[in-house]
Amino acid sequence: MSERIEIDKDAVRRDLMKLVLTIVELLRQLMERQAIRRVENCELTEEQEEDLGTALMLLSDAMDELTEQFGLTPADLNLDLGPLGPLLPRDR
Amino acid sequence: MITYLYAVGRDLERVPDVGSGGVGGGALRLVGEAGLQAVVSDVDREAFEDLDAHREDLAWLASVARAHHGVVEAVGRAHAVAPLALATVYLDDDRVRAVLRESHEAFTAVLDRVDGRDEWGVKAYVRPGAARAAAGERPSSGAAYLRARRDALRAGDAAVADAEREAEAVDAAVSALAVESRRHPPQDRSLTGRTEQMVLNGAYLVDRSAAAEVRALVEERSRTGSIDLELTGPWAPYSFAGGAA
Repeated sequence: MSERIEIDKDAVRRDLMKLVLTIVELLRQLMERQAIRRVENCELTEEQEEDLGTALMLLSDAMDELTEQFGLTPADLNLDLGPLGPLLPRDR
Repeated sequence: MITYLYAVGRDLERVPDVGSGGVGGGALRLVGEAGLQAVVSDVDREAFEDLDAHREDLAWLASVARAHHGVVEAVGRAHAVAPLALATVYLDDDRVRAVLRESHEAFTAVLDRVDGRDEWGVKAYVRPGAARAAAGERPSSGAAYLRARRDALRAGDAAVADAEREAEAVDAAVSALAVESRRHPPQDRSLTGRTEQMVLNGAYLVDRSAAAEVRALVEERSRTGSIDLELTGPWAPYSFAGGAA
Protein backbone atom coordinates (compact mmCIF):
# COMPACT_ATOMS: atom_id res chain seq x y z
CA MET A 1 0.00 0.00 0.00
CA SER A 2 2.71 2.44 1.04
CA GLU A 3 4.61 1.54 -2.12
CA ARG A 4 1.66 2.55 -4.25
CA ILE A 5 1.42 5.97 -2.64
CA GLU A 6 5.13 6.45 -3.19
CA ILE A 7 4.75 5.77 -6.95
CA ASP A 8 1.86 8.19 -7.22
CA LYS A 9 3.89 10.83 -5.46
CA ASP A 10 6.65 10.40 -8.00
CA ALA A 11 4.21 10.76 -10.86
CA VAL A 12 2.79 13.92 -9.34
CA ARG A 13 6.26 15.31 -8.79
CA ARG A 14 7.26 14.53 -12.34
CA ASP A 15 4.11 16.09 -13.81
CA LEU A 16 4.52 19.20 -11.69
CA MET A 17 8.16 19.48 -12.74
CA LYS A 18 7.10 19.08 -16.35
CA LEU A 19 4.63 21.94 -16.02
CA VAL A 20 7.14 24.19 -14.26
CA LEU A 21 9.83 23.44 -16.83
CA THR A 22 7.38 24.08 -19.66
CA ILE A 23 6.64 27.54 -18.34
CA VAL A 24 10.32 28.29 -17.75
CA GLU A 25 11.12 27.07 -21.27
CA LEU A 26 8.41 29.29 -22.73
CA LEU A 27 9.81 32.32 -20.91
CA ARG A 28 13.33 31.40 -21.92
CA GLN A 29 12.38 31.22 -25.59
CA LEU A 30 10.49 34.50 -25.39
CA MET A 31 13.44 36.21 -23.71
CA GLU A 32 15.78 34.77 -26.30
CA ARG A 33 13.70 36.09 -29.17
CA GLN A 34 13.40 39.45 -27.47
CA ALA A 35 17.18 39.57 -27.00
CA ILE A 36 17.79 38.69 -30.64
CA ARG A 37 15.37 41.40 -31.71
CA ARG A 38 17.14 43.96 -29.54
CA VAL A 39 20.53 42.98 -30.94
CA GLU A 40 19.19 43.33 -34.46
CA ASN A 41 17.79 46.76 -33.66
CA CYS A 42 21.16 47.77 -32.17
CA GLU A 43 19.55 48.62 -28.84
CA LEU A 44 22.29 46.99 -26.80
CA THR A 45 25.87 47.89 -26.05
CA GLU A 46 28.44 45.20 -26.78
CA GLU A 47 28.78 44.52 -23.09
CA GLN A 48 25.02 44.15 -22.59
CA GLU A 49 24.82 41.86 -25.59
CA GLU A 50 27.58 39.67 -24.19
CA ASP A 51 25.99 39.51 -20.72
CA LEU A 52 22.54 38.77 -22.06
CA GLY A 53 23.87 36.12 -24.41
CA THR A 54 25.88 34.44 -21.69
CA ALA A 55 22.91 34.43 -19.32
CA LEU A 56 20.65 32.90 -21.96
CA MET A 57 23.26 30.32 -22.87
CA LEU A 58 23.64 29.26 -19.23
CA LEU A 59 19.88 29.14 -18.84
CA SER A 60 19.65 26.94 -21.92
CA ASP A 61 22.27 24.58 -20.48
CA ALA A 62 20.45 24.47 -17.16
CA MET A 63 17.20 23.64 -18.94
CA ASP A 64 18.85 20.79 -20.80
CA GLU A 65 20.26 19.40 -17.58
CA LEU A 66 16.99 19.68 -15.70
CA THR A 67 14.89 18.10 -18.43
CA GLU A 68 17.34 15.23 -18.66
CA GLN A 69 17.39 14.81 -14.91
CA PHE A 70 13.62 14.38 -14.83
CA GLY A 71 13.64 12.00 -17.75
CA LEU A 72 11.94 14.50 -20.06
CA THR A 73 12.64 15.46 -23.65
CA PRO A 74 12.24 18.92 -25.20
CA ALA A 75 9.11 17.60 -26.93
CA ASP A 76 7.54 16.91 -23.50
CA LEU A 77 7.83 20.58 -22.62
CA ASN A 78 5.07 21.65 -24.90
CA LEU A 79 1.42 22.08 -24.11
CA ASP A 80 -1.08 21.42 -26.84
CA LEU A 81 -3.45 24.38 -26.81
CA GLY A 82 -5.84 22.74 -29.23
CA PRO A 83 -6.93 25.13 -31.96
CA LEU A 84 -4.24 27.60 -30.89
CA GLY A 85 -1.55 25.05 -31.67
CA PRO A 86 1.37 24.16 -29.47
CA LEU A 87 2.42 26.55 -26.70
CA LEU A 88 6.02 26.68 -27.87
CA PRO A 89 6.16 27.75 -31.49
CA ARG A 90 8.58 25.15 -32.76
CA ASP A 91 10.77 22.41 -31.47
CA ARG A 92 13.91 24.36 -31.25
CA MET B 1 -33.60 1.06 -35.75
CA ILE B 2 -32.54 3.44 -38.49
CA THR B 3 -30.67 2.87 -41.75
CA TYR B 4 -26.95 3.61 -41.98
CA LEU B 5 -25.77 4.29 -45.53
CA TYR B 6 -22.17 3.33 -46.33
CA ALA B 7 -21.76 3.63 -50.06
CA VAL B 8 -23.56 3.67 -53.37
CA GLY B 9 -22.72 1.61 -56.45
CA ARG B 10 -24.49 0.72 -59.64
CA ASP B 11 -23.56 -2.84 -60.49
CA LEU B 12 -23.63 -4.42 -57.07
CA GLU B 13 -25.28 -7.83 -57.10
CA ARG B 14 -24.39 -9.15 -53.69
CA VAL B 15 -23.90 -7.80 -50.24
CA PRO B 16 -20.15 -7.22 -49.76
CA ASP B 17 -18.38 -9.86 -47.75
CA VAL B 18 -17.28 -8.16 -44.54
CA GLY B 19 -16.50 -10.58 -41.75
CA SER B 20 -17.47 -8.32 -38.88
CA GLY B 21 -20.57 -6.85 -40.51
CA GLY B 22 -21.43 -3.17 -40.43
CA VAL B 23 -21.46 -0.53 -37.71
CA GLY B 24 -22.34 -2.18 -34.40
CA GLY B 25 -22.07 -5.60 -36.07
CA GLY B 26 -25.31 -5.11 -38.02
CA ALA B 27 -25.99 -7.27 -41.09
CA LEU B 28 -25.37 -5.52 -44.40
CA ARG B 29 -28.16 -5.21 -46.96
CA LEU B 30 -28.54 -3.75 -50.40
CA VAL B 31 -31.27 -1.22 -51.13
CA GLY B 32 -31.80 -0.79 -54.85
CA GLU B 33 -33.54 2.00 -56.73
CA ALA B 34 -33.25 3.55 -60.17
CA GLY B 35 -30.32 1.39 -61.19
CA LEU B 36 -28.29 2.27 -58.10
CA GLN B 37 -27.64 0.16 -55.03
CA ALA B 38 -27.02 1.47 -51.56
CA VAL B 39 -25.10 -0.64 -49.07
CA VAL B 40 -26.83 -0.21 -45.71
CA SER B 41 -27.28 -1.78 -42.31
CA ASP B 42 -29.57 -1.18 -39.37
CA VAL B 43 -28.08 0.78 -36.51
CA ASP B 44 -29.30 1.77 -33.10
CA ARG B 45 -31.33 4.92 -33.42
CA GLU B 46 -30.33 6.49 -30.13
CA ALA B 47 -26.62 6.24 -30.83
CA PHE B 48 -26.93 8.32 -34.00
CA GLU B 49 -29.71 10.67 -33.03
CA ASP B 50 -27.49 12.70 -30.77
CA LEU B 51 -24.20 12.72 -32.63
CA ASP B 52 -22.92 15.70 -30.68
CA ALA B 53 -22.92 13.62 -27.54
CA HIS B 54 -20.50 11.22 -29.23
CA ARG B 55 -18.23 13.79 -30.74
CA GLU B 56 -15.78 13.48 -27.88
CA ASP B 57 -16.13 9.72 -27.57
CA LEU B 58 -13.12 8.75 -29.63
CA ALA B 59 -13.46 5.02 -29.01
CA TRP B 60 -17.00 5.04 -30.35
CA LEU B 61 -16.06 7.21 -33.32
CA ALA B 62 -13.13 4.93 -34.10
CA SER B 63 -15.30 1.83 -34.07
CA VAL B 64 -17.82 3.49 -36.41
CA ALA B 65 -15.03 4.70 -38.70
CA ARG B 66 -13.42 1.25 -38.82
CA ALA B 67 -16.70 -0.46 -39.68
CA HIS B 68 -17.55 2.21 -42.26
CA HIS B 69 -14.14 1.96 -43.86
CA GLY B 70 -14.25 -1.86 -43.88
CA VAL B 71 -17.55 -1.89 -45.77
CA VAL B 72 -16.51 0.81 -48.26
CA GLU B 73 -13.21 -0.96 -49.00
CA ALA B 74 -14.97 -4.31 -49.45
CA VAL B 75 -17.38 -2.79 -51.98
CA GLY B 76 -14.62 -0.85 -53.69
CA ARG B 77 -12.45 -3.90 -54.31
CA ALA B 78 -14.64 -5.08 -57.17
CA HIS B 79 -16.85 -2.13 -58.08
CA ALA B 80 -16.88 1.57 -58.65
CA VAL B 81 -18.10 3.01 -55.39
CA ALA B 82 -19.25 6.36 -54.07
CA PRO B 83 -18.51 6.35 -50.34
CA LEU B 84 -20.83 8.37 -48.14
CA ALA B 85 -19.63 10.55 -45.31
CA LEU B 86 -19.15 8.89 -41.95
CA ALA B 87 -22.39 8.46 -40.00
CA THR B 88 -24.83 9.12 -42.83
CA VAL B 89 -28.15 7.80 -41.53
CA TYR B 90 -31.74 7.82 -42.79
CA LEU B 91 -34.95 7.05 -40.96
CA ASP B 92 -35.68 3.96 -43.04
CA ASP B 93 -35.02 2.21 -46.35
CA ASP B 94 -37.72 4.24 -48.07
CA ARG B 95 -35.79 7.42 -47.37
CA VAL B 96 -32.66 5.80 -48.82
CA ARG B 97 -34.61 4.91 -51.98
CA ALA B 98 -35.81 8.49 -52.22
CA VAL B 99 -32.22 9.76 -51.96
CA LEU B 100 -31.08 7.34 -54.68
CA ARG B 101 -33.90 8.60 -56.86
CA GLU B 102 -33.41 12.30 -56.16
CA SER B 103 -29.61 12.26 -56.35
CA HIS B 104 -29.44 9.78 -59.19
CA GLU B 105 -27.57 12.15 -61.46
CA ALA B 106 -25.07 13.22 -58.84
CA PHE B 107 -24.32 9.62 -57.85
CA THR B 108 -23.98 8.60 -61.48
CA ALA B 109 -21.58 11.46 -62.10
CA VAL B 110 -19.46 10.44 -59.09
CA LEU B 111 -19.45 6.78 -60.14
CA ASP B 112 -18.44 7.73 -63.69
CA ARG B 113 -15.64 9.86 -62.32
CA VAL B 114 -14.22 7.27 -59.92
CA ASP B 115 -14.68 4.16 -62.06
CA GLY B 116 -11.34 2.42 -62.58
CA ARG B 117 -9.62 4.94 -60.32
CA ASP B 118 -8.39 5.00 -56.77
CA GLU B 119 -7.65 7.71 -54.29
CA TRP B 120 -4.05 8.12 -53.18
CA GLY B 121 -2.85 10.36 -50.41
CA VAL B 122 0.44 12.22 -50.32
CA LYS B 123 1.60 13.83 -47.12
CA ALA B 124 4.76 15.87 -46.86
CA TYR B 125 6.67 16.74 -43.71
CA VAL B 126 9.51 19.11 -42.99
CA ARG B 127 12.51 16.84 -42.72
CA PRO B 128 13.76 16.64 -39.13
CA GLY B 129 17.13 18.21 -38.62
CA ALA B 130 16.68 20.70 -41.43
CA ALA B 131 16.28 23.41 -38.81
CA ARG B 132 18.99 22.11 -36.54
CA ALA B 133 21.76 21.80 -39.07
CA ALA B 134 23.10 25.21 -38.09
CA ALA B 135 23.63 24.22 -34.46
CA GLY B 136 27.27 23.20 -34.27
CA GLU B 137 29.82 23.41 -31.49
CA ARG B 138 29.27 25.38 -28.35
CA PRO B 139 29.44 29.14 -28.89
CA SER B 140 32.53 30.77 -27.43
CA SER B 141 30.79 33.85 -26.04
CA GLY B 142 27.40 35.26 -25.15
CA ALA B 143 27.29 37.35 -28.31
CA ALA B 144 28.24 34.33 -30.42
CA TYR B 145 25.46 32.36 -28.74
CA LEU B 146 22.87 35.00 -29.64
CA ARG B 147 24.11 35.07 -33.23
CA ALA B 148 23.95 31.28 -33.46
CA ARG B 149 20.42 31.27 -32.07
CA ARG B 150 19.36 33.99 -34.50
CA ASP B 151 20.77 32.01 -37.40
CA ALA B 152 19.10 28.84 -36.17
CA LEU B 153 15.72 30.57 -35.90
CA ARG B 154 16.11 32.05 -39.35
CA ALA B 155 17.26 28.74 -40.78
CA GLY B 156 14.23 27.09 -39.20
CA ASP B 157 11.83 29.59 -40.76
CA ALA B 158 13.62 29.25 -44.08
CA ALA B 159 13.49 25.46 -43.84
CA VAL B 160 9.72 25.54 -43.39
CA ALA B 161 9.31 27.99 -46.27
CA ASP B 162 11.53 25.82 -48.49
CA ALA B 163 9.60 22.72 -47.50
CA GLU B 164 6.32 24.43 -48.36
CA ARG B 165 7.63 25.44 -51.76
CA GLU B 166 8.88 21.95 -52.44
CA ALA B 167 5.53 20.51 -51.31
CA GLU B 168 3.78 22.74 -53.84
CA ALA B 169 5.97 21.31 -56.59
CA VAL B 170 5.25 17.74 -55.49
CA ASP B 171 1.53 18.50 -55.40
CA ALA B 172 1.70 19.90 -58.93
CA ALA B 173 3.66 16.89 -60.21
CA VAL B 174 1.29 14.34 -58.66
CA SER B 175 -1.74 16.36 -59.81
CA ALA B 176 -0.42 16.15 -63.36
CA LEU B 177 -0.63 12.36 -63.15
CA ALA B 178 -4.04 12.42 -61.47
CA VAL B 179 -7.50 12.94 -62.87
CA GLU B 180 -8.41 15.19 -59.99
CA SER B 181 -6.80 16.42 -56.82
CA ARG B 182 -7.79 17.93 -53.51
CA ARG B 183 -5.79 19.66 -50.84
CA HIS B 184 -6.84 18.88 -47.32
CA PRO B 185 -5.64 21.13 -44.52
CA PRO B 186 -2.36 19.90 -43.04
CA GLN B 187 -2.99 17.81 -39.97
CA ASP B 188 -1.97 18.71 -36.47
CA ARG B 189 0.93 16.91 -34.83
CA SER B 190 -1.44 15.24 -32.38
CA LEU B 191 -3.16 13.51 -35.32
CA THR B 192 -0.08 12.57 -37.30
CA GLY B 193 1.84 11.38 -34.28
CA ARG B 194 4.94 12.92 -35.84
CA THR B 195 6.89 15.80 -34.42
CA GLU B 196 7.68 17.25 -37.84
CA GLN B 197 5.38 19.85 -39.30
CA MET B 198 3.11 18.69 -42.12
CA VAL B 199 3.31 20.89 -45.21
CA LEU B 200 1.13 18.94 -47.66
CA ASN B 201 -1.95 16.80 -47.22
CA GLY B 202 -3.11 16.03 -50.74
CA ALA B 203 -5.62 13.55 -52.14
CA TYR B 204 -5.40 12.42 -55.74
CA LEU B 205 -7.82 10.49 -57.91
CA VAL B 206 -5.61 8.31 -60.05
CA ASP B 207 -6.31 5.89 -62.90
CA ARG B 208 -5.31 2.37 -61.85
CA SER B 209 -2.98 2.31 -64.83
CA ALA B 210 -1.14 5.37 -63.53
CA ALA B 211 -0.75 4.19 -59.94
CA ALA B 212 2.75 2.81 -60.51
CA GLU B 213 3.80 6.14 -61.96
CA VAL B 214 2.55 8.01 -58.92
CA ARG B 215 4.36 5.61 -56.62
CA ALA B 216 7.59 5.99 -58.57
CA LEU B 217 7.27 9.78 -58.61
CA VAL B 218 6.74 10.02 -54.86
CA GLU B 219 9.62 7.63 -54.17
CA GLU B 220 11.90 9.57 -56.44
CA ARG B 221 10.97 12.95 -54.96
CA SER B 222 11.35 11.58 -51.46
CA ARG B 223 14.83 10.30 -52.25
CA THR B 224 16.12 13.34 -54.07
CA GLY B 225 14.18 16.09 -52.32
CA SER B 226 14.55 17.59 -48.88
CA ILE B 227 11.08 16.85 -47.50
CA ASP B 228 9.74 13.56 -46.20
CA LEU B 229 6.89 12.19 -48.32
CA GLU B 230 4.36 9.62 -47.31
CA LEU B 231 2.19 7.89 -49.90
CA THR B 232 -0.98 6.12 -48.77
CA GLY B 233 -3.48 4.17 -50.77
CA PRO B 234 -5.13 2.91 -52.76
CA TRP B 235 -8.21 4.17 -50.96
CA ALA B 236 -11.84 4.26 -51.93
CA PRO B 237 -12.41 7.74 -53.41
CA TYR B 238 -13.49 9.37 -50.13
CA SER B 239 -12.29 12.81 -51.13
CA PHE B 240 -13.94 12.75 -54.55
CA ALA B 241 -17.46 11.57 -53.80
CA GLY B 242 -18.71 14.86 -52.38
CA GLY B 243 -21.83 16.57 -53.60
CA ALA B 244 -23.86 13.42 -54.16
CA ALA B 245 -25.92 13.09 -51.02
